[in-house]
Amino acid sequence: MTFNKTMTLLLAGAAMTLSASVATAQTNLRVFVSSQHRPDVWRKAFDMYEAKNPNVKVTIETGGNTSEQQAQYLNTVMTAKDSSLDVMILDVIRPAQYAAAGWTVPFNEVIGQDVKAYMDRYLPAYAEANTVDGKVVALPAFADAMFLYYRKDLLEKHGIQPPQTWEELAAAAKKITAAENDPNLQGLSFQGKAIEGAVCTFLLPYWSMGKQLVADGKLSFDKEAAVKSLKLWKDFVDSGVAKKNIAEVATDDTRKEFQAGNVVFAVNWSYAWGQFQGAESAVKDKVGVVKLPAVQGGQPASCLGGWEWGVSAFSNNKTEAQKFVQFISSPDVSEFMAINASLLPQFPQVYSDVDVVKAVPWFASAKPVVETAKARPVTPRYNEVSEIIRTTVNGVLAGQQTPEQGAEQMEGRLRRVLR
Amino acid sequence: MATASETTLVTTRNESGTKWWTRFLDPSEGTLAALLLLPTALLLTLIIVYPVCRLIWTSFQNLSLTSGLPASFAGLENYSLMLDDPVFWETTWNTVLITLITVPGALLVGLALALMANLPFNVKWPVRLSLLIPWALPLSFAGLIFAWFFHSEYGVVNDVLRRIGFEGVIWFNSANWAFAAICLTIIWKTSSFMALIILAGLQTIPRSLYEAADVDGAGRLRQFFEITLPLLKPAIVVALIFRTITALQTFDIPFTMTRGGPGTSTATLAMYIHQNTVDFLDLGYGSALAVVMFVLSMGVTAVYLRMIRARG
Repeated sequence: MTFNKTMTLLLAGAAMTLSASVATAQTNLRVFVSSQHRPDVWRKAFDMYEAKNPNVKVTIETGGNTSEQQAQYLNTVMTAKDSSLDVMILDVIRPAQYAAAGWTVPFNEVIGQDVKAYMDRYLPAYAEANTVDGKVVALPAFADAMFLYYRKDLLEKHGIQPPQTWEELAAAAKKITAAENDPNLQGLSFQGKAIEGAVCTFLLPYWSMGKQLVADGKLSFDKEAAVKSLKLWKDFVDSGVAKKNIAEVATDDTRKEFQAGNVVFAVNWSYAWGQFQGAESAVKDKVGVVKLPAVQGGQPASCLGGWEWGVSAFSNNKTEAQKFVQFISSPDVSEFMAINASLLPQFPQVYSDVDVVKAVPWFASAKPVVETAKARPVTPRYNEVSEIIRTTVNGVLAGQQTPEQGAEQMEGRLRRVLR
Repeated sequence: MATASETTLVTTRNESGTKWWTRFLDPSEGTLAALLLLPTALLLTLIIVYPVCRLIWTSFQNLSLTSGLPASFAGLENYSLMLDDPVFWETTWNTVLITLITVPGALLVGLALALMANLPFNVKWPVRLSLLIPWALPLSFAGLIFAWFFHSEYGVVNDVLRRIGFEGVIWFNSANWAFAAICLTIIWKTSSFMALIILAGLQTIPRSLYEAADVDGAGRLRQFFEITLPLLKPAIVVALIFRTITALQTFDIPFTMTRGGPGTSTATLAMYIHQNTVDFLDLGYGSALAVVMFVLSMGVTAVYLRMIRARG
């Protein structure tokens, strides 16, 4: 090897070492994104931040496909005080729990003087869900609520209007499935598996009857309404409106079956819309979406969803992470995600944005639904409350218990938790 | 022995210049025994005694990570809560039922498999291999594989049932069918372990006993009940102890197949402990449940050990 070559190699080596030391001056942020909420589109939003902040590198971590699987994973990371995650997306029911456990850091310092004005930019439900005792414990990623999706083409063909009550829905579903005579066509799909979605399944008719589950931190369980709610869903199964194995159906199963053209009516979150309009969808341009039906004589009710960005208390880059979260919870990113991932905006004005209206016209009618959607009970023991409700719904739908037995067991167990 | 230790003592006293530790260089038998046991004793204290004591201590505390409150002494509160917790009773009953069904089930299937594997095949390895595979498969994999087998729409079980003219069953939509599916899976998974231990036992039975029985004119069945079974007893008891303990701790297969559903009808005590500690982060209550399971396992082991001792 000649002297020149040796020198060149040495210099190249030195240059590499130098660039490596520049790289270590960078901040690496590891972000947990739920796999069902389009990590591919979030990646593009994160790229925008990286472009503006060349010293920050963002890596996505994703896993699980239901809210409680993700919570289970995050619980283990947080109890281990693991510093590997900096930012995590949390289902709207969790920021309060995570703050109580001391797993997230408040944003108040990063936001600065006028915290109230900062939070008032968001829809009130999200400002509230993310503020605990004056501390901003997380920032909203996107809004969500449950809607009724329906097959526009089938309803038009049979001259039926979108139903206003669950009874109308049952009648319409029976009429359409009988006339279509397709063994694969289900009247209604909803979540009967013992997952977080089943909590909303129970609460929709319960709320529609004007009842509350928790009032002033105390259980205000109305057994009669609970029996009626469980019975409403069980009747859908017994009368053949919903399929027999509805107790096996999770949120994304409802989405897939509707997308395959096998369902007339479906209860689902807003994320389903984007997928229904996708290239692989059998129901593209045949889908309508309206607010959920009410019980006879009740008010229509929807379950408030949405996800929030929290910064881990065990992160080594808390301030950088919080600045990053401020960016991804900003109106610009909200608009970007609305257009590209059909995630509902957490800012009221984004709903009327020209580009958003053009990309997702139904968002205009979604806004009042989100604004009036009800929040699931806020308690540090929410995981237990949720488990009690969802296993009961699942047990009743599988015929394991009668609605009466289910409501009784639910009440007994809830009393122990919210004592 | 006495002389040896006296000499050591005397030498230590006489040589006043030597250090105290020199007696370890020439230890008495008792000291040597203690020295040799020390590492094991320390290790066991660290990995068994300490965690068990800590578990029992935590079970008397109010310790929930989601409450944000520090741990506080609760006395027997966790245990009294348990007594009127319907899910505790249901999961405990499910665990006992799984044990009562799958342990004898796996024993019978395992015995049959072992007897078959002990037949004089020309090529032994395919038989042995097929015995080993279920045993070597991780429990959660077995659970996931069988969850697909029993899936109501895409599963092979229902497909076969429909082909031979029955209506398919929605296995995981009914408490009884889901329970049956779980028990079948556990028996499939664990009978090969039983078979392996019993096979080892079978091979220790001398041929000459059977030859003598043949000469005496005893038939195959008689030979099985008079020679094979009595001589297999020690192997069977060992297999039963191991199997029963693991059956009481059943977690992976129901967790991956049904997650305890429908409702809580297939949840086991181990799953309920996991749920309380990992999902609800209620370490106090979870520990109290774990103490109950610990006591249950110890009780069963004690019964088996007594059985072995009684039979000499």
